[in-house]
Amino acid sequence: MTGTFSGLSTTRWMMLGCAIVLVALFPLVYTDPYYMTIIVTAEVVLILNISWNFVLGMAGVWNFGQLAIYALGAYGAGWLMLHQTWMPAMIAILCGGLFSAVISVLLAFPTLRLFGIYTSLLTFSFAQVVQYVALNDPRGLTGGSYGYPTVPGLFPNMSQTSYLRAYYWVFAAVIVASCLVVAWLRQSHLGIALRSIRDSPGYTAARGVNPRMTRVIAFGLSGFLAGVAGGFYLSFEQSFTTSQMGLTPMSIDVTMLVIGGLGTVMGPLIGTAIVTVIQTILIDYPGWQLTILGATLLVIVIFVPGGVVGLISRTSKRVGAWVEEDSEAVEPAET
Amino acid sequence: MTDIVAIIVNGLVYGSIYGLVAIGMTLIYGTLRILDMSQGSMVMIGGYVGWWALATHGVNPLLALVLAFIVTFVVGTLTELVSVQPLIGRRGEVDFEMVTFITTFAVGILLTNVALQHFGPFQKNVPPIVSGNLDVYHGVSISYHELTMAGVSVLLMGALGLFLARTRWGFAVRAVAQDLDAARSLGVPVSRLYPATMGLASALAGVGGVFLGALYFASPTAGDLPLLQALIVVVLGGLGSLTGTLYAAYLVGLMQAFCEVKIGTTWTLPILYTAILIILVIRPYGLKGSPSEARL
Repeated sequence: MTGTFSGLSTTRWMMLGCAIVLVALFPLVYTDPYYMTIIVTAEVVLILNISWNFVLGMAGVWNFGQLAIYALGAYGAGWLMLHQTWMPAMIAILCGGLFSAVISVLLAFPTLRLFGIYTSLLTFSFAQVVQYVALNDPRGLTGGSYGYPTVPGLFPNMSQTSYLRAYYWVFAAVIVASCLVVAWLRQSHLGIALRSIRDSPGYTAARGVNPRMTRVIAFGLSGFLAGVAGGFYLSFEQSFTTSQMGLTPMSIDVTMLVIGGLGTVMGPLIGTAIVTVIQTILIDYPGWQLTILGATLLVIVIFVPGGVVGLISRTSKRVGAWVEEDSEAVEPAET
Repeated sequence: MTDIVAIIVNGLVYGSIYGLVAIGMTLIYGTLRILDMSQGSMVMIGGYVGWWALATHGVNPLLALVLAFIVTFVVGTLTELVSVQPLIGRRGEVDFEMVTFITTFAVGILLTNVALQHFGPFQKNVPPIVSGNLDVYHGVSISYHELTMAGVSVLLMGALGLFLARTRWGFAVRAVAQDLDAARSLGVPVSRLYPATMGLASALAGVGGVFLGALYFASPTAGDLPLLQALIVVVLGGLGSLTGTLYAAYLVGLMQAFCEVKIGTTWTLPILYTAILIILVIRPYGLKGSPSEARL
């Protein structure tokens, strides 16, 4: 594996390993149920954001239908959990993910002919159709505005502490795995093809990369992860309604991605963390939450293009340059 | 027969108001290459101005419309100064269309939530501009309010057309839409033209908001549905094409009226969106759009 992550040194790998161990040990030390619930919910949102970032940031396709894909995964998993009770919950969630992946691939085809703003409108209207159909479903498959009020979920019979811990670990494992996969994909043939199609579609196609195939694969992967995130949300909250795919959650997710840095591996992680902290601080002033988030989004987009990750990498480069200058001037022997 | 008359009458009324809200978005996209997601908030602000003027102060309806026009013009200009102006000239550094999409969206979130803080979540009743009903055909009636709404919308759209075709500022707007650099080098004051264009487009939506507020309510989220409908209209018409937007507005209006009379209100939006999905797959740039060049 180290070969594919040639950008990371051994020290970086050890730091990453230590971070993962710390994250894994965290719930054994910390058990406050209120904050643990917030953290676990943020984990689900993070999984969704990783999947969205893959299409929106890396592939550069203006897909604003990701929340519909996410909701379809939740509905798929929920339907299986409620009506096919013999099926293990994990399998149901994976099936929900597969269902989302299929829908996402189908959505990829019409977007192939469109550019920029038109793609966003097409995917946005797709999401609206899904939401309205789910709300007004005449056959009762989705439960209308009530959604799925009681779903057993992954761990139906557990005390609160171990319930939160179990979900925390499952979600953290998925996050680590998907971050590694995204980091690997970014440097793989597919990732490079995706980014070069984003930057220059004509040239990339002329160099023998099939844009259709590449985009379909990207949509499929991203859709699968989004669907799994939907299944996770459903199973952790033990319920799901259409309000999870409305305009408000969408604007919050976009804010997270943009604040963190679109198209980067760590962007979703940092963005989700920052926005969750802001929301938790402002929990007593629900009206101000979105006002402040909207203002933050505006300021970040205008003054810090590239988000926090872009800011960090620029600053560290600049600091690195200073350090080099100094060491050259003062003590050339130092590495 | 009654059904057909009802569909046509309602379709024309809906079409006019959609045209008024959507034509601003087209104007902005045509000149500035911005999909203005704050346009819905302007409808919302117009609704509140209407409520403030008509319900609490009993102002002359015509004055209320002028007031809404001025207020949303100012808010629209400020929106441009905050969310677009800092990004101009950085086209190499940022993806202009996407970033402005996000910034105007952020302004929309801000305005909605400020309204929520200030006015509370409850709906306010806006009195109609003109009261009374007109019986068109055996049982099909139309309120004078809706008739005024359609009339004012058509009038404003005509005025916008004249403004673009005849006045000096209109020439400047069209010149910028055609070729930004050439317009700039010939002395068009782009840094003043951009805010003015966005203010004008917002003002049209604001006037629409007063009418829509009386038709429904004034509330913080009153702009969401008009925004979605305007998006349908501009995409269907081809972003940036004024005539395309007009056709699309009346087409969407008639389609909506047809759905409401024949199928039921709940399915109106899904059907419209499905129609959009199909049209975009067949014609990726809308009915009258062209790939990326100026179309105003």
